Amino acid sequence: MMDRKKILEEGLLEKYLLDELSAEESQQISIAIANNEDLKKKFELLEKDFEKMALENVIEPPTEIKMRLIEQLENSKVKTMPKTWLYTAASLALLFLLSSFWMFNRWKKAETNFESLQNQTTVLQERLNALEENYLLTNQRLKTINGPQTIPLILHGNDLVPNSRAVAYVNHENKMVVVNAQGLPELPNNSTYQMWSDVDGEMIDMGLLPTDEELITLKYIDKAESLNITIEPAGGNDHPTVEKLIAYVTL
Amino acid sequence: MQHHQDDIEIINRLSKKDKEALYLLYDKYSGALYGVILRMCRNQVLAEDLLQETFIKIWQKIDSYDASKGRFYTWAYRIAKNLTLNSLRKPDLLIQTEELGVDIKKEDLQPEMDFSELNGAIGKLEPHHQEAISLVYFRGYTHREAYEEMGVPLGTFKSYIRQALQLLRESYKHELIIIWLLLETF
Repeated sequence: MMDRKKILEEGLLEKYLLDELSAEESQQISIAIANNEDLKKKFELLEKDFEKMALENVIEPPTEIKMRLIEQLENSKVKTMPKTWLYTAASLALLFLLSSFWMFNRWKKAETNFESLQNQTTVLQERLNALEENYLLTNQRLKTINGPQTIPLILHGNDLVPNSRAVAYVNHENKMVVVNAQGLPELPNNSTYQMWSDVDGEMIDMGLLPTDEELITLKYIDKAESLNITIEPAGGNDHPTVEKLIAYVTL
Repeated sequence: MQHHQDDIEIINRLSKKDKEALYLLYDKYSGALYGVILRMCRNQVLAEDLLQETFIKIWQKIDSYDASKGRFYTWAYRIAKNLTLNSLRKPDLLIQTEELGVDIKKEDLQPEMDFSELNGAIGKLEPHHQEAISLVYFRGYTHREAYEEMGVPLGTFKSYIRQALQLLRESYKHELIIIWLLLETF
Protein backbone atom coordinates (compact mmCIF):
# COMPACT_ATOMS: atom_id res chain seq x y z
CA MET A 1 0.00 0.00 0.00
CA MET A 2 1.19 3.47 -0.83
CA ASP A 3 2.50 5.59 2.02
CA ARG A 4 0.26 8.47 3.13
CA LYS A 5 3.18 10.84 3.55
CA LYS A 6 4.49 10.08 0.07
CA ILE A 7 1.04 10.60 -1.44
CA LEU A 8 0.71 14.03 0.13
CA GLU A 9 4.29 15.14 -0.61
CA GLU A 10 4.20 14.02 -4.24
CA GLY A 11 0.83 15.68 -4.80
CA LEU A 12 -0.55 12.33 -5.91
CA LEU A 13 -4.10 13.16 -4.76
CA GLU A 14 -4.15 16.06 -7.23
CA LYS A 15 -2.68 13.92 -9.99
CA TYR A 16 -5.18 11.18 -9.18
CA LEU A 17 -8.06 13.66 -9.39
CA LEU A 18 -6.70 15.09 -12.65
CA ASP A 19 -6.37 11.55 -14.08
CA GLU A 20 -2.65 11.99 -14.73
CA LEU A 21 -1.58 8.67 -13.18
CA SER A 22 -1.13 5.28 -14.80
CA ALA A 23 -3.89 2.72 -14.26
CA GLU A 24 -1.73 0.89 -11.73
CA GLU A 25 -0.93 4.03 -9.71
CA SER A 26 -4.56 5.10 -9.81
CA GLN A 27 -5.58 1.75 -8.44
CA GLN A 28 -3.07 2.11 -5.55
CA ILE A 29 -4.23 5.64 -4.67
CA SER A 30 -7.85 4.52 -4.81
CA ILE A 31 -7.13 1.73 -2.33
CA ALA A 32 -5.11 4.10 -0.09
CA ILE A 33 -8.00 6.59 0.01
CA ALA A 34 -10.52 3.87 0.80
CA ASN A 35 -8.37 2.65 3.72
CA ASN A 36 -7.34 5.96 5.28
CA GLU A 37 -9.88 8.34 6.75
CA ASP A 38 -7.50 11.32 6.67
CA LEU A 39 -6.62 10.76 3.00
CA LYS A 40 -10.29 10.29 2.25
CA LYS A 41 -11.20 13.60 3.88
CA LYS A 42 -8.35 15.40 2.12
CA PHE A 43 -9.40 13.98 -1.24
CA GLU A 44 -13.05 14.95 -0.65
CA LEU A 45 -12.00 18.52 0.16
CA LEU A 46 -9.82 18.63 -2.94
CA GLU A 47 -12.71 17.42 -5.08
CA LYS A 48 -15.03 20.03 -3.57
CA ASP A 49 -12.50 22.82 -4.12
CA PHE A 50 -11.87 21.90 -7.73
CA GLU A 51 -15.61 21.53 -8.34
CA LYS A 52 -16.29 24.89 -6.76
CA MET A 53 -13.54 26.49 -8.83
CA ALA A 54 -15.02 24.94 -11.99
CA LEU A 55 -18.48 26.23 -11.07
CA GLU A 56 -17.01 29.69 -10.58
CA ASN A 57 -15.61 29.52 -14.11
CA VAL A 58 -18.66 28.31 -15.94
CA ILE A 59 -19.00 29.11 -19.65
CA GLU A 60 -22.60 28.59 -20.72
CA PRO A 61 -22.76 26.40 -23.84
CA PRO A 62 -25.23 27.38 -26.61
CA THR A 63 -28.72 26.00 -25.85
CA GLU A 64 -28.73 24.04 -29.11
CA ILE A 65 -26.18 21.61 -27.62
CA LYS A 66 -28.81 20.33 -25.19
CA MET A 67 -31.27 20.04 -28.08
CA ARG A 68 -28.68 18.06 -30.04
CA LEU A 69 -28.06 15.80 -27.05
CA ILE A 70 -31.79 15.17 -26.58
CA GLU A 71 -32.21 14.50 -30.28
CA GLN A 72 -29.29 12.08 -30.29
CA LEU A 73 -30.66 10.18 -27.29
CA GLU A 74 -34.25 10.07 -28.54
CA ASN A 75 -33.20 8.89 -32.00
CA SER A 76 -30.48 6.63 -30.71
CA LYS A 77 -29.78 4.00 -33.35
CA VAL A 78 -28.91 1.44 -30.72
CA LYS A 79 -32.39 1.74 -29.30
CA THR A 80 -34.29 1.84 -32.57
CA MET A 81 -32.42 -1.00 -34.22
CA PRO A 82 -34.32 -3.82 -32.48
CA LYS A 83 -37.61 -2.06 -33.24
CA THR A 84 -36.64 -1.76 -36.90
CA TRP A 85 -35.75 -5.43 -36.92
CA LEU A 86 -39.02 -6.30 -35.31
CA TYR A 87 -40.94 -4.31 -37.91
CA THR A 88 -38.92 -5.89 -40.70
CA ALA A 89 -39.52 -9.37 -39.34
CA ALA A 90 -43.22 -8.68 -38.87
CA SER A 91 -43.48 -7.29 -42.41
CA LEU A 92 -41.71 -10.30 -43.83
CA ALA A 93 -43.93 -12.66 -41.87
CA LEU A 94 -47.02 -10.83 -43.10
CA LEU A 95 -45.71 -10.87 -46.66
CA PHE A 96 -45.01 -14.58 -46.37
CA LEU A 97 -48.49 -15.18 -44.97
CA LEU A 98 -50.14 -13.19 -47.75
CA SER A 99 -48.10 -14.78 -50.50
CA SER A 100 -48.77 -18.24 -49.04
CA PHE A 101 -52.47 -17.49 -49.00
CA TRP A 102 -52.29 -16.21 -52.56
CA MET A 103 -50.32 -19.27 -53.69
CA PHE A 104 -52.76 -21.56 -51.92
CA ASN A 105 -55.68 -19.88 -53.69
CA ARG A 106 -53.87 -20.10 -57.01
CA TRP A 107 -53.18 -23.76 -56.40
CA LYS A 108 -56.81 -24.42 -55.42
CA LYS A 109 -57.98 -22.60 -58.54
CA ALA A 110 -55.53 -24.51 -60.72
CA GLU A 111 -56.74 -27.76 -59.19
CA THR A 112 -60.37 -26.84 -59.90
CA ASN A 113 -59.45 -25.82 -63.44
CA PHE A 114 -57.63 -29.07 -63.96
CA GLU A 115 -60.60 -31.08 -62.68
CA SER A 116 -63.01 -29.23 -64.91
CA LEU A 117 -60.66 -29.71 -67.86
CA GLN A 118 -60.50 -33.40 -67.07
CA ASN A 119 -64.31 -33.53 -66.98
CA GLN A 120 -64.51 -31.63 -70.25
CA THR A 121 -62.05 -34.01 -71.82
CA THR A 122 -64.14 -37.01 -70.70
CA VAL A 123 -67.29 -35.40 -72.08
CA LEU A 124 -65.55 -34.61 -75.34
CA GLN A 125 -64.20 -38.15 -75.56
CA GLU A 126 -67.70 -39.53 -75.02
CA ARG A 127 -69.10 -37.21 -77.65
CA LEU A 128 -66.36 -38.20 -80.04
CA ASN A 129 -67.12 -41.88 -79.47
CA ALA A 130 -70.82 -41.26 -80.02
CA LEU A 131 -70.13 -39.24 -83.17
CA GLU A 132 -67.81 -41.93 -84.48
CA GLU A 133 -70.44 -44.59 -83.86
CA ASN A 134 -73.05 -42.41 -85.44
CA TYR A 135 -70.80 -41.75 -88.41
CA LEU A 136 -70.06 -45.42 -88.92
CA LEU A 137 -73.76 -46.23 -88.75
CA THR A 138 -74.69 -43.42 -91.11
CA ASN A 139 -71.93 -44.40 -93.46
CA GLN A 140 -73.11 -48.00 -93.35
CA ARG A 141 -76.68 -46.96 -94.08
CA LEU A 142 -75.58 -44.65 -96.86
CA LYS A 143 -73.70 -47.53 -98.44
CA THR A 144 -76.75 -49.72 -97.96
CA ILE A 145 -79.18 -47.39 -99.66
CA ASN A 146 -76.84 -45.75 -102.11
CA GLY A 147 -75.21 -48.85 -103.65
CA PRO A 148 -75.72 -49.68 -107.34
CA GLN A 149 -77.48 -52.93 -106.39
CA THR A 150 -80.03 -51.15 -104.19
CA ILE A 151 -83.53 -50.52 -105.50
CA PRO A 152 -85.48 -47.72 -103.79
CA LEU A 153 -89.23 -48.37 -103.67
CA ILE A 154 -91.91 -45.89 -102.63
CA LEU A 155 -95.02 -47.15 -100.81
CA HIS A 156 -97.83 -44.56 -101.22
CA GLY A 157 -100.43 -44.49 -98.48
CA ASN A 158 -104.09 -45.25 -99.54
CA ASP A 159 -107.28 -43.58 -98.29
CA LEU A 160 -106.66 -44.77 -94.74
CA VAL A 161 -103.50 -42.67 -94.56
CA PRO A 162 -103.78 -40.17 -97.38
CA ASN A 163 -100.76 -38.17 -98.61
CA SER A 164 -98.35 -40.37 -96.76
CA ARG A 165 -95.56 -42.67 -97.84
CA ALA A 166 -92.77 -44.95 -96.77
CA VAL A 167 -89.53 -45.71 -98.66
CA ALA A 168 -88.03 -49.20 -98.85
CA TYR A 169 -84.49 -49.94 -100.08
CA VAL A 170 -84.11 -53.51 -101.31
CA ASN A 171 -80.77 -55.16 -102.14
CA HIS A 172 -81.24 -58.58 -103.63
CA GLU A 173 -77.49 -59.27 -103.75
CA ASN A 174 -76.98 -58.73 -100.00
CA LYS A 175 -80.52 -59.92 -99.21
CA MET A 176 -81.27 -56.83 -97.24
CA VAL A 177 -84.32 -54.56 -96.75
CA VAL A 178 -84.15 -51.16 -95.06
CA VAL A 179 -87.28 -48.99 -94.64
CA ASN A 180 -87.82 -45.34 -93.76
CA ALA A 181 -91.32 -45.05 -92.26
CA GLN A 182 -91.10 -41.44 -91.16
CA GLY A 183 -93.39 -40.36 -93.97
CA LEU A 184 -96.32 -42.25 -92.35
CA PRO A 185 -98.64 -40.58 -89.81
CA GLU A 186 -97.97 -41.37 -86.14
CA LEU A 187 -100.18 -44.05 -84.56
CA PRO A 188 -101.73 -44.23 -81.09
CA ASN A 189 -99.72 -46.26 -78.51
CA ASN A 190 -101.97 -49.33 -78.83
CA SER A 191 -101.18 -49.90 -82.56
CA THR A 192 -98.18 -50.17 -84.90
CA TYR A 193 -97.26 -50.46 -88.57
CA GLN A 194 -96.11 -53.91 -89.72
CA MET A 195 -94.60 -54.97 -93.09
CA TRP A 196 -95.30 -58.15 -94.95
CA SER A 197 -93.89 -59.97 -98.05
CA ASP A 198 -96.31 -61.64 -100.46
CA VAL A 199 -94.87 -65.00 -101.59
CA ASP A 200 -97.24 -67.07 -103.74
CA GLY A 201 -100.29 -65.42 -102.12
CA GLU A 202 -99.00 -65.94 -98.58
CA MET A 203 -98.14 -62.93 -96.38
CA ILE A 204 -94.90 -63.42 -94.48
CA ASP A 205 -93.96 -61.16 -91.54
CA MET A 206 -90.94 -58.88 -92.14
CA GLY A 207 -91.06 -56.88 -88.88
CA LEU A 208 -92.54 -53.83 -87.20
CA LEU A 209 -92.17 -50.26 -88.51
CA PRO A 210 -91.85 -47.65 -85.78
CA THR A 211 -92.30 -44.13 -87.18
CA ASP A 212 -89.71 -42.49 -84.95
CA GLU A 213 -86.69 -44.21 -86.54
CA GLU A 214 -84.99 -43.07 -89.70
CA LEU A 215 -84.05 -46.43 -91.14
CA ILE A 216 -85.38 -49.77 -89.97
CA THR A 217 -83.70 -52.98 -91.11
CA LEU A 218 -86.25 -55.72 -91.79
CA LYS A 219 -86.13 -59.40 -92.72
CA TYR A 220 -85.36 -60.06 -96.38
CA ILE A 221 -87.74 -62.65 -97.77
CA ASP A 222 -86.77 -64.64 -100.88
CA LYS A 223 -89.09 -64.60 -103.90
CA ALA A 224 -91.30 -61.85 -102.50
CA GLU A 225 -93.65 -60.41 -105.12
CA SER A 226 -94.80 -57.33 -103.22
CA LEU A 227 -94.21 -55.42 -99.99
CA ASN A 228 -97.26 -54.49 -97.86
CA ILE A 229 -97.83 -52.33 -94.81
CA THR A 230 -100.75 -52.89 -92.38
CA ILE A 231 -101.86 -51.36 -89.10
CA GLU A 232 -101.73 -53.95 -86.32
CA PRO A 233 -102.21 -53.97 -82.54
CA ALA A 234 -99.11 -52.90 -80.56
CA GLY A 235 -96.44 -55.63 -80.56
CA GLY A 236 -97.42 -56.88 -84.00
CA ASN A 237 -99.59 -59.66 -85.35
CA ASP A 238 -99.05 -63.24 -86.70
CA HIS A 239 -101.31 -62.59 -89.68
CA PRO A 240 -101.98 -59.34 -91.41
CA THR A 241 -105.30 -57.54 -90.87
CA VAL A 242 -106.15 -57.07 -94.57
CA GLU A 243 -108.79 -54.37 -93.86
CA LYS A 244 -106.05 -52.23 -92.41
CA LEU A 245 -103.66 -52.41 -95.40
CA ILE A 246 -102.46 -48.89 -95.98
CA ALA A 247 -99.77 -49.22 -98.70
CA TYR A 248 -98.09 -51.70 -100.98
CA VAL A 249 -95.61 -51.93 -103.87
CA THR A 250 -94.85 -54.71 -106.27
CA LEU A 251 -91.33 -55.90 -106.85
CA MET B 1 -22.71 17.21 1.39
CA GLN B 2 -26.40 17.74 0.57
CA HIS B 3 -25.21 18.56 -2.91
CA HIS B 4 -23.60 15.17 -3.22
CA GLN B 5 -26.69 13.30 -1.97
CA ASP B 6 -28.91 14.92 -4.61
CA ASP B 7 -26.48 13.77 -7.27
CA ILE B 8 -26.59 10.20 -5.99
CA GLU B 9 -30.36 10.09 -6.34
CA ILE B 10 -30.20 11.48 -9.89
CA ILE B 11 -27.42 9.05 -10.75
CA ASN B 12 -29.53 6.12 -9.53
CA ARG B 13 -32.22 7.25 -11.95
CA LEU B 14 -29.62 7.57 -14.68
CA SER B 15 -28.48 3.98 -14.05
CA LYS B 16 -32.06 2.94 -14.77
CA LYS B 17 -31.73 4.71 -18.15
CA ASP B 18 -33.88 7.68 -17.14
CA LYS B 19 -33.06 10.32 -19.77
CA GLU B 20 -34.56 13.10 -17.66
CA ALA B 21 -31.86 12.40 -15.05
CA LEU B 22 -29.19 13.01 -17.69
CA TYR B 23 -30.84 16.29 -18.67
CA LEU B 24 -30.84 17.35 -14.98
CA LEU B 25 -27.13 16.60 -14.72
CA TYR B 26 -26.61 18.48 -17.97
CA ASP B 27 -28.36 21.56 -16.57
CA LYS B 28 -26.21 21.38 -13.47
CA TYR B 29 -22.76 20.61 -14.89
CA SER B 30 -22.68 21.44 -18.62
CA GLY B 31 -21.44 25.00 -17.94
CA ALA B 32 -18.56 23.86 -15.74
CA LEU B 33 -17.57 21.10 -18.18
CA TYR B 34 -17.91 23.38 -21.20
CA GLY B 35 -15.68 25.90 -19.37
CA VAL B 36 -13.01 23.22 -19.03
CA ILE B 37 -13.40 21.85 -22.60
CA LEU B 38 -13.42 25.23 -24.30
CA ARG B 39 -10.37 26.47 -22.35
CA MET B 40 -8.61 23.24 -23.23
CA CYS B 41 -9.30 23.06 -26.98
CA ARG B 42 -9.89 26.76 -27.71
CA ASN B 43 -12.22 25.95 -30.59
CA GLN B 44 -15.90 26.61 -30.10
CA VAL B 45 -17.23 24.19 -32.74
CA LEU B 46 -15.03 21.38 -31.47
CA ALA B 47 -15.87 22.21 -27.85
CA GLU B 48 -19.60 21.97 -28.56
CA ASP B 49 -19.18 18.53 -30.14
CA LEU B 50 -16.99 17.39 -27.25
CA LEU B 51 -19.53 18.55 -24.68
CA GLN B 52 -22.26 16.57 -26.44
CA GLU B 53 -19.95 13.57 -26.68
CA THR B 54 -19.11 13.86 -22.97
CA PHE B 55 -22.77 13.58 -21.98
CA ILE B 56 -23.33 10.68 -24.39
CA LYS B 57 -20.41 8.92 -22.72
CA ILE B 58 -21.86 9.69 -19.26
CA TRP B 59 -25.14 8.15 -20.47
CA GLN B 60 -23.39 5.04 -21.78
CA LYS B 61 -20.82 4.54 -18.99
CA ILE B 62 -22.83 5.52 -15.88
CA ASP B 63 -22.63 1.95 -14.59
CA SER B 64 -18.87 2.28 -14.25
CA TYR B 65 -19.23 5.31 -11.93
CA ASP B 66 -18.61 4.37 -8.29
CA ALA B 67 -19.95 7.02 -5.89
CA SER B 68 -17.84 5.65 -3.04
CA LYS B 69 -14.67 6.57 -4.95
CA GLY B 70 -15.46 10.17 -5.62
CA ARG B 71 -17.87 12.86 -6.69
CA PHE B 72 -19.85 12.64 -9.91
CA TYR B 73 -18.39 15.89 -11.16
CA THR B 74 -14.81 14.59 -10.75
CA TRP B 75 -15.74 11.54 -12.84
CA ALA B 76 -17.43 13.65 -15.50
CA TYR B 77 -14.47 16.07 -15.56
CA ARG B 78 -12.10 13.18 -16.30
CA ILE B 79 -14.32 12.00 -19.18
CA ALA B 80 -14.45 15.51 -20.67
CA LYS B 81 -10.71 16.00 -20.25
CA ASN B 82 -9.78 12.67 -21.85
CA LEU B 83 -12.17 13.14 -24.79
CA THR B 84 -10.75 16.61 -25.39
CA LEU B 85 -7.09 15.57 -25.18
CA ASN B 86 -7.76 12.57 -27.45
CA SER B 87 -9.47 14.75 -30.05
CA LEU B 88 -6.52 17.20 -29.95
CA ARG B 89 -4.09 14.33 -30.56
CA LYS B 90 -6.00 13.08 -33.58
CA PRO B 91 -4.27 13.83 -36.88
CA ASP B 92 -7.59 14.44 -38.69
CA LEU B 93 -8.22 17.54 -36.64
CA LEU B 94 -9.75 20.33 -38.67
CA ILE B 95 -7.12 22.80 -37.61
CA GLN B 96 -3.87 22.10 -39.42
CA THR B 97 -0.69 22.67 -37.50
CA GLU B 98 2.82 21.48 -38.23
CA GLU B 99 3.20 19.68 -34.97
CA LEU B 100 0.36 17.32 -34.29
CA GLY B 101 1.01 16.48 -30.73
CA VAL B 102 -0.20 17.54 -27.36
CA ASP B 103 1.65 20.74 -28.25
CA ILE B 104 -1.35 21.79 -30.29
CA LYS B 105 -3.05 23.09 -27.20
CA LYS B 106 -0.23 25.54 -26.67
CA GLU B 107 -1.16 27.27 -29.91
CA ASP B 108 -3.60 30.05 -29.41
CA LEU B 109 -6.13 28.80 -31.93
CA GLN B 110 -8.71 31.50 -31.36
CA PRO B 111 -6.78 34.54 -30.23
CA GLU B 112 -9.86 36.73 -30.35
CA MET B 113 -11.33 34.69 -27.49
CA ASP B 114 -9.56 35.09 -24.20
CA PHE B 115 -10.21 32.23 -21.85
CA SER B 116 -7.17 32.86 -19.71
CA GLU B 117 -9.04 35.10 -17.31
CA LEU B 118 -10.43 33.13 -14.43
CA ASN B 119 -13.24 34.12 -12.10
CA GLY B 120 -14.01 33.48 -8.48
CA ALA B 121 -11.48 32.56 -5.86
CA ILE B 122 -8.79 31.52 -8.33
CA GLY B 123 -9.06 34.86 -10.12
CA LYS B 124 -7.95 36.58 -6.93
CA LEU B 125 -4.76 34.53 -6.58
CA GLU B 126 -1.34 35.78 -7.64
CA PRO B 127 -0.58 35.21 -11.35
CA HIS B 128 1.90 32.34 -10.86
CA HIS B 129 -0.55 30.47 -8.60
CA GLN B 130 -3.36 31.09 -11.07
CA GLU B 131 -1.29 29.88 -13.99
CA ALA B 132 -0.15 26.69 -12.26
CA ILE B 133 -3.70 25.66 -11.41
CA SER B 134 -5.02 26.80 -14.77
CA LEU B 135 -2.47 24.74 -16.69
CA VAL B 136 -3.20 21.46 -14.94
CA TYR B 137 -6.92 21.91 -14.44
CA PHE B 138 -8.23 24.01 -17.31
CA ARG B 139 -5.60 23.40 -19.98
CA GLY B 140 -5.06 19.65 -19.58
CA TYR B 141 -1.32 19.79 -19.04
CA THR B 142 0.40 17.14 -16.99
CA HIS B 143 2.55 18.37 -14.11
CA ARG B 144 5.64 17.63 -16.22
CA GLU B 145 4.39 19.60 -19.23
CA ALA B 146 3.18 22.43 -17.01
CA TYR B 147 6.43 23.18 -15.17
CA GLU B 148 8.28 23.23 -18.51
CA GLU B 149 5.66 25.60 -19.86
CA MET B 150 6.11 27.89 -16.85
CA GLY B 151 9.88 27.57 -17.04
CA VAL B 152 10.34 26.76 -13.36
CA PRO B 153 11.83 23.65 -11.67
CA LEU B 154 9.42 20.80 -10.90
CA GLY B 155 9.81 21.30 -7.15
CA THR B 156 8.88 24.97 -7.44
CA PHE B 157 5.90 24.10 -9.63
CA LYS B 158 4.69 21.54 -7.09
CA SER B 159 4.84 24.11 -4.29
CA TYR B 160 2.95 26.60 -6.49
CA ILE B 161 0.17 24.02 -6.83
CA ARG B 162 0.19 23.23 -3.14
CA GLN B 163 0.12 26.89 -2.12
CA ALA B 164 -2.58 27.71 -4.64
CA LEU B 165 -4.78 24.88 -3.40
CA GLN B 166 -4.21 26.00 0.17
CA LEU B 167 -5.26 29.55 -0.70
CA LEU B 168 -8.36 28.32 -2.49
CA ARG B 169 -9.18 26.18 0.52
CA GLU B 170 -8.95 29.14 2.87
CA SER B 171 -10.89 31.37 0.55
CA TYR B 172 -13.77 28.88 0.37
CA LYS B 173 -13.58 28.36 4.14
CA HIS B 174 -14.01 32.12 4.67
CA GLU B 175 -16.96 32.14 2.35
CA LEU B 176 -18.55 29.42 4.44
CA ILE B 177 -17.95 31.41 7.59
CA ILE B 178 -19.51 34.50 6.03
CA ILE B 179 -22.53 32.52 4.91
CA TRP B 180 -22.74 30.97 8.38
CA LEU B 181 -22.53 34.39 10.00
CA LEU B 182 -25.21 35.70 7.65
CA LEU B 183 -27.48 32.75 8.49
CA GLU B 184 -26.84 33.30 12.21
CA THR B 185 -27.58 37.02 11.96
CA PHE B 186 -31.01 36.55 10.41
